[in-house]
Amino acid sequence: MRFWEGIRLALTQVWTHKLKSFFSLVGVIIGITFLIAVITIVEGMNRYVREDFAGSIFGVNTFTVVQRNQVNTGPQSAERRRREARNPELVLHDVEVVRAATPNAKQFAYMSDRFLSEVRSGGERRPNVRLIGGSGEYQTIQGWKVDSGRGLTPLDERRALKVAVIGSAIAERLFPTTSPLDKPIRFRGQQFTIVGVFEKQGGFIGNIRDASVLIPFSTYNQTMAQRREEVEEILVKVNTAAEIEPTIAEVEGALRADRQLRPGEDNNFWIQTSNDLLSAWNTINRILMTAIPGLVSVSLVVGGIVIMNIMLLSVTDRTREIGLRKSLGARRRDILFQFLTEASTLSILGAAVGIAVGLGLARLVESLTPLPASVSGFSLFLALALGLIVGVASGMYPAYRAARLDPIEALRYE
Amino acid sequence: MIHDLVDEPEGHTHEQIEDDDDERSANYVMGAETIRALRGVDLKIESNEYVAIMGPSGSGKSTLMNLIGCLDTPTSGEYVLNGQAVQDLDDDELARIRNREIGFVFQTFNLLPRATALHNVELPLIYAGVSAKERQRRAAGALEKVALADRMNHKPNELSGGQRQRVAIARALVNDPSILLADEPTGNLDSSTSQEIMGVFDALHASGQTIIMVTHEADIAAHSHREITLVDGMISAQHVKAPATAGI
Repeated sequence: MRFWEGIRLALTQVWTHKLKSFFSLVGVIIGITFLIAVITIVEGMNRYVREDFAGSIFGVNTFTVVQRNQVNTGPQSAERRRREARNPELVLHDVEVVRAATPNAKQFAYMSDRFLSEVRSGGERRPNVRLIGGSGEYQTIQGWKVDSGRGLTPLDERRALKVAVIGSAIAERLFPTTSPLDKPIRFRGQQFTIVGVFEKQGGFIGNIRDASVLIPFSTYNQTMAQRREEVEEILVKVNTAAEIEPTIAEVEGALRADRQLRPGEDNNFWIQTSNDLLSAWNTINRILMTAIPGLVSVSLVVGGIVIMNIMLLSVTDRTREIGLRKSLGARRRDILFQFLTEASTLSILGAAVGIAVGLGLARLVESLTPLPASVSGFSLFLALALGLIVGVASGMYPAYRAARLDPIEALRYE
Repeated sequence: MIHDLVDEPEGHTHEQIEDDDDERSANYVMGAETIRALRGVDLKIESNEYVAIMGPSGSGKSTLMNLIGCLDTPTSGEYVLNGQAVQDLDDDELARIRNREIGFVFQTFNLLPRATALHNVELPLIYAGVSAKERQRRAAGALEKVALADRMNHKPNELSGGQRQRVAIARALVNDPSILLADEPTGNLDSSTSQEIMGVFDALHASGQTIIMVTHEADIAAHSHREITLVDGMISAQHVKAPATAGI
């Protein structure tokens, strides 16, 4: 009963001094806004990376063999990068070694790619395109679906036909009004026939995929490769998650034997799983999550000091009221509770405003950039809890002063 | 300073100040100097008395009033209220006594400016832990007693001085206190309003309320049945005009 009385009284005070209350809350509002906005965005990116990004790049139950790790983080990464740069490039021979080591793979593919400054068809051109030479199952393993026409077939691969499946962004650009199927597309002095268009992916990563052209690996090797038989990635998809580790061990052993590495010598190749990407993201995530509390607590401490000052002023302003309340029977703890409640209510209100503004900011960022936003219940709880803590901490001293006032002196105060 | 209290046969309230020797006093320490505000005051007030405490400024009447109101405790001596020795009580117990036994009426009314008359009257009940519904019922009843039933939802700045003081009286009465303690209750009012307020006091006394008021105005003190005059912290005169127990 007295609890609600305290809250009601506190709200009346806040409402009576709206402007003063607002200014006293700026620090808390900024702190909580920042907290909510950043956590919401980071949380959104988290989900995106875990659920979409990693899966869409690597696919489920998939690992790839590459020359070197492409996701570098951590302090030793510069040194490691230099060392890995000396790893031999992958070639078709490595593909055969890996294939032989993975007889039970569900799917198997290899690819090579290069950047094209432009592709053309008719009078239209599309700059900045990724050209991929992919073996038979590459599009399947990547989960790329064809929207119109067909995908690449084993026949295309065997005969090294000059056929291409293009991304939706390229199709829209080169053929805004007509169907791209069976039309020619030119790049690096060669002409290919378009046999299919990939489904539009959109989104952060999909934008890159939508600007890709896929041709058979054999064709790529004959016409586009910078080195003979170069291979960028070997992709292996296994049947279950449990098979990933043993299969990787097989591949590792086969490649080491083929390359005649001595025991104790480092691998001169890299096997990448979606875990690599996730661990890189987790590192970034950890840094952010370490930095945020520091930044937030600075503004909350400042906000708390402001609230404390306002509350001290309020105690002085209301000295007579305190004296009166004491003369009417308020105990010290009643006065203490009243001012603590007031400071906490103020601060929690600030936190609530901060949450609203923070969520608004996160939505704004979401609508202006490809970054997704994800609201976690934990961050809301954290924000309100911080509001309460700041309120109680900053209200403690003023409330103590108020509670200690001598009723006679307080009643006489002008 | 000392008070001693004696139970009446009916078990009613009295307070009394009784002095055995000259060492009972209320001292205030200001800086290095100890100021003795009251010395050897020995006073006994029975239930349903109507007492005026008079005296020039600095005579100690405010100190006496603070002691009676349990806002302060004597440095030495004793104060017995309803059979309870007050001087040994701690802060919380004093607050409880102020809440249940004392109804204050101040010269400056001391109403909360942003609260309605009703809420102002409810205040003591909040600290008594009375439920919201019961509080409103009792506060409304107290306002009715002072003829302000139609002004319950007005704020103090919407009320005249006399009405404000009547709200304050309702607030003092709402917890049914043993003593109505008024400090210059008409000090901020013009003479006709003063008479109106004194009329309220007289009626309350007639209905059995014990009233103690501090004043320096003789015509206000004239309403009481017993005048106590303090000079230099000592009782210089006592003047009883009517029986202490007005048998209603």
